[in-house]
Amino acid sequence: MMAGRQDFASGGGPSRWSAFGSAFVANGFTMYPVLLLLVIVGALVAPRFLSSTNLINILEQVSVLGLTTIGLTFVVLIGRLDLSLEGIVGFAPMLAAVLMAPATAGGYGIELPGWAGLIVALGAAGLIGIFNGFMVVRVGLNPFISTLGLLVLLRGGILIISNGRSIYSPGRALTYLGSERLLGIPLSVVVFLVVAVLVGLIFQFHRYGRALYAVGGNEEAARAAGINVDRVIWSAFFFAGLLAGLAGILMTGRLDSAVTTQGEGIIFSAFAAAVIGGVSLGGGKGNIIGVVSGVLLIGVINNLLTLAQVPSFYVQASTGAVIIVAAVLTTLASRRSTGMKTRT
Amino acid sequence: MDRSRPIVEMTNIIKTFGSTRALRGVDFSVMPGEVHALLGRNGAGKSTLVSALSGFTPADSGKFRIADTEIDANGQSYAAVIRNDIAHVQQTPRLFDLLTVAENLFIENPIVRSGWGMVSHSRMIERAMALLDEWKIDIPATALAGQLGAGTRQLLEIMKALNRGVPVMILDEPTAALSNAEKRILFDHVRTLKAQGVSFVYISHHLDEVFEVADTVTILRDGQVVKARAPVASLDVEVIANLMMGQATLRSTREDHTDPKAPVLLQARALRISSDEGPVINLDVRRGEIVALAGPVGSGKEDLALILAGQKTPAAGAVTSPSGALPTIGVVPTDRHASGYVGILGVRENVAVGGLGMLSNRLGFINRRKEAEHVGQLARQTNVIASSLEQPVGQLSGGNQQKVVFARSLCQSPDVIVALSPTRGVDVGAKEQLYALLRGLAAKGMGVVVVSDEEDEISQLANRVVIVFEGAVVDELVGDYSMKDLILRMEGVA
Repeated sequence: MMAGRQDFASGGGPSRWSAFGSAFVANGFTMYPVLLLLVIVGALVAPRFLSSTNLINILEQVSVLGLTTIGLTFVVLIGRLDLSLEGIVGFAPMLAAVLMAPATAGGYGIELPGWAGLIVALGAAGLIGIFNGFMVVRVGLNPFISTLGLLVLLRGGILIISNGRSIYSPGRALTYLGSERLLGIPLSVVVFLVVAVLVGLIFQFHRYGRALYAVGGNEEAARAAGINVDRVIWSAFFFAGLLAGLAGILMTGRLDSAVTTQGEGIIFSAFAAAVIGGVSLGGGKGNIIGVVSGVLLIGVINNLLTLAQVPSFYVQASTGAVIIVAAVLTTLASRRSTGMKTRT
Repeated sequence: MDRSRPIVEMTNIIKTFGSTRALRGVDFSVMPGEVHALLGRNGAGKSTLVSALSGFTPADSGKFRIADTEIDANGQSYAAVIRNDIAHVQQTPRLFDLLTVAENLFIENPIVRSGWGMVSHSRMIERAMALLDEWKIDIPATALAGQLGAGTRQLLEIMKALNRGVPVMILDEPTAALSNAEKRILFDHVRTLKAQGVSFVYISHHLDEVFEVADTVTILRDGQVVKARAPVASLDVEVIANLMMGQATLRSTREDHTDPKAPVLLQARALRISSDEGPVINLDVRRGEIVALAGPVGSGKEDLALILAGQKTPAAGAVTSPSGALPTIGVVPTDRHASGYVGILGVRENVAVGGLGMLSNRLGFINRRKEAEHVGQLARQTNVIASSLEQPVGQLSGGNQQKVVFARSLCQSPDVIVALSPTRGVDVGAKEQLYALLRGLAAKGMGVVVVSDEEDEISQLANRVVIVFEGAVVDELVGDYSMKDLILRMEGVA
């Protein structure tokens, strides 16, 4: 046996700075300096930006996107995608709303109690996720096409079950999480942060998280290592659906209504936030610290552009441009730090 | 063509990957009609050098010439410029699985084109059939490449390259997936082309092959040439091995821990691998023994191993254990790139994935300290050399990747380890380390099952050799068998 050629001590690399840089990128901190820069710019451009009201406002606005992006991260980590999350954000709370609201407010007159409405919303979201898993694992469809179909189907479904009308004030239990405040901090922000921390811990420290990364990195190797790959895929779609449902409930709460167009376009922002946050669309790479940075970045940019009174036509285009620039930055940083090409 | 002027001349080639200096100013030349073997351990720079030559991964600096094309390397891609001068057959076949054999063979080949870039299918199939016939490969030209076995795929890749009519060919480990019969066909073609003036750069870990086909040998070590253009006749195995290793090495020999009274770990009874006919297989794996499953390609030895490991269901019969519950079994899969490791994840995560159950608490959360200790201990036991346990396995050399795969298979502290092609594409030094590891495991009382195509490997390791032929066990060698016995039986002669 050869001995004495091992070096497992940390920081023994070519230089401490480059080791620090690699760890910085690998742990998902790439975008935080950019975020800090934006905050400084924001404070200079618009004095109102740094007010606590505005900062809390940003957090409240991104909590829906944040939960959807975390959900999306489950499926992207295993190298799949789920477009139907956008449909779930709208469909799950709408289904609860029509079952809860009295007939006069556009409901079915069943007038389910509030807690049952919550269960209906989350249950529907989870079931849709399980259906996605079924289509991918058992039927063997490419998730792009199966979830695209489901997205369109759910959008239509929202109009069918609501008869095309938004439902206002669907009930306190459904809107509680999205509208209430705790010590001045919106509950939706608390929910987002709790979920982020919990999922972050699971990704890093739980065997399920390890299984997600292994399946996304090399499915065959994961199988050979004894991981139940089908169950991992199935559950990732389930959690994604569930979190999108939760995001939908927060959104309904914030608007105090289940709107027929609820969640439209959110899947694009979610993909953007995930990629900016260093999640590889090829699977196996990314973490929650990065995802949160991506979500915050999109929120701060939107807020800044609004505060700076940029005409609304330009807001959308500039957001798109920033997404591209941020994605390029993330990709370059990750390539430099690992020396390996990954497709984001 | 001027026969005295080298067809390939490389001077002062430098290539760096991150902080690794893969090539440190290498000079290399090839004469027309020469088979030039490039030797060295894994990570010595062989593959990097030929990749620089073919432009697959451009060199950072240095000058070279192939035929009449001069290249001044600066890290930019130059593969297109030398496309008509050189062909590069890589270690793993790069075929289009969803295209037919004929389409794969003649992709981007002007021979099958008519005007305006139109491709003639009839001409392509006709030529492909003639070619397959010439190589004695019995498959239809319209079969999909994805349906073929590993050996055939490798041959196709070589045929595709030889077919392009270039003056210089690079063969990087061409025989790794080939049976002996397929090897013979390949060597015949190499000799024929050589006689026509085609030059070869030949990389192989099998020195016997080098002595058989090569004229000249260049040996690399740590990105530098340590022996340039030596005629093959002037070298022997000892000299080559010493130059490669940089120190004198002795080949290890097998140790016998077999004890006929040792408890049986795995018991296969009335087994049939895939068909419902023919004789059944009865096989025991005992504590402390190394059993090799040997036989020609396609004999079913891999399937038998996977059945023993519980990863495949037999057509008939069952694998049981006399003690009741089946023992824990660790598996080293055949193709580490396909199913052995996750390239973008670090050593720690790759090893731990083999034993997530025992490293996590009741709620499934992983005990990080226990994980670090356990993985660190396994990495030391298997001699993994990495900058840290967090280094992505994709960045490691082949030998170290394979050690990580071994560490993963040992993560659950198994009673039996089933290793398929345990040292494929691994250098001599790492090979010996893996052999020592397997012997050590057997000495500690584990049952070891090895599937291998290499006679040397089997004779260095196995106390017992089970010969598998056409889905049945036809013979068994125990204890003090000779190399000659082994070779004859593996060829299905005796």
